[in-house]
Amino acid sequence: MSGGRDDVSGTPIDFARLNIIAERFATDDRFTGIEIQPEFAPDRIVCRYDSGFYPQRVQSARLEIVWFENGDFSLHYHEELGDGAFDYRWDRHPSDHNTRDHVHPGPDARTPGDDASHPEEWRDALSMVLGEIDDRQRAFWTE
Amino acid sequence: MDDPRTELKADSDERRDAPEFDDLVPPEELVSGDRTRDDFFDAVLGLDSPATAGEVADLAGHGVDAAREYLAWFERMGIVTQVTDSPATYERNQEYLNWRRVQQLRNQYDDDELLVFLEDAVERDESFAEEFDVKFPDAVAIVAHATDTDRSVEAVWREVSAWKTTRRRISLFERALQTDTDGAGGQRPVA
Repeated sequence: MSGGRDDVSGTPIDFARLNIIAERFATDDRFTGIEIQPEFAPDRIVCRYDSGFYPQRVQSARLEIVWFENGDFSLHYHEELGDGAFDYRWDRHPSDHNTRDHVHPGPDARTPGDDASHPEEWRDALSMVLGEIDDRQRAFWTE
Repeated sequence: MDDPRTELKADSDERRDAPEFDDLVPPEELVSGDRTRDDFFDAVLGLDSPATAGEVADLAGHGVDAAREYLAWFERMGIVTQVTDSPATYERNQEYLNWRRVQQLRNQYDDDELLVFLEDAVERDESFAEEFDVKFPDAVAIVAHATDTDRSVEAVWREVSAWKTTRRRISLFERALQTDTDGAGGQRPVA
C-alpha cells in the first residue's frame, strides 16, 4: 500500500446513542447500576447485572457497551467466576480476522472469532444481545 | 452463546429461589423508548447514510405518513438534514447532536472542570499524534499501519477511533467553554 487512505477508517464514539441506552437501562430490574465511563464523556457504558439472576458461584456480571457514530459497535459480556471468568463479545467493525459482523465466543472471547450476521438496526442488535444473555442466565437455573 | 458449564449452575437448594425471569421487561421493549417520537428519533439516530421517509418508517415501525411528519419536524429542529429532493432523503445531523452535547456539558460542569477535561484531552491528542507520527487521525492508513507495525487491523482501528473520539471531545469542551449563552458566541476567559 502506498501509505495513502485505505477503505478502513476509525470513527468517534456515539455519545448520543450511549446516553439514550443508559437512560433506558437505568431503571430496568436486570441491572443494579449503569455507569458512564468516564463520567464527563462516555467512552462506554457499563451495565451491572443484579447478582440475584445468578447462582452464588457467579460473583458478578456486566455488559459493556461501545457504539460508534457510523453504527459500528462492540458489546462485551463478562462474568466474574472467582477462579476465572466468562467473556463473550458481539462486534461490528473492520478487522483482518473476521467479517465486519462477528462474535468472539466464550469462555475467553477468543480471536479470531466466528463470523456472524447481526441485525442491521441498532436496537434490534442490542435486544438480540440482551436476549442471549437472558437465555444464559435462565440456563443457570435448569438441571 | 453457550449455556453455563454444569458446575456453575444452581444446585437444588438454590433452585428453590430461582429468579422470576418472566417478570422482566422483554429486551425488545427495553431497548426502545415509550413514545412514537422516540421510535423516530432512534431511527434517525441510527442512520449512517441518507434514507427516504419510507425507509425511516420501516426502521421506526410506523407508517410513512407519520415518518414524513416527524422528518419535517426534525428538520425544523435541526435533528436531520435533507440531502436530496426527489426522492427526499434525510440523514442524521451530527452538528445538532454535538450542540446538544455542548449544552449538557455546560449544565453539568463548571468552567474549571471543563478546563481540566480539555487539558486531559489535548494531552491525549498529542500522544496519539506522536505515536502515529501524523497530525490528524484521518491521515492514518489503518491497514497499512497495521501491516507496518505488525499489529491487527482491529487494534489499530480501535486506537484511531479513540483518537477521533478525543478530537471530538476537544471541540465539544472548547465550545462548552466559549459559549456564554445558548448558541451565542460570547467569549469568556477560560483560565
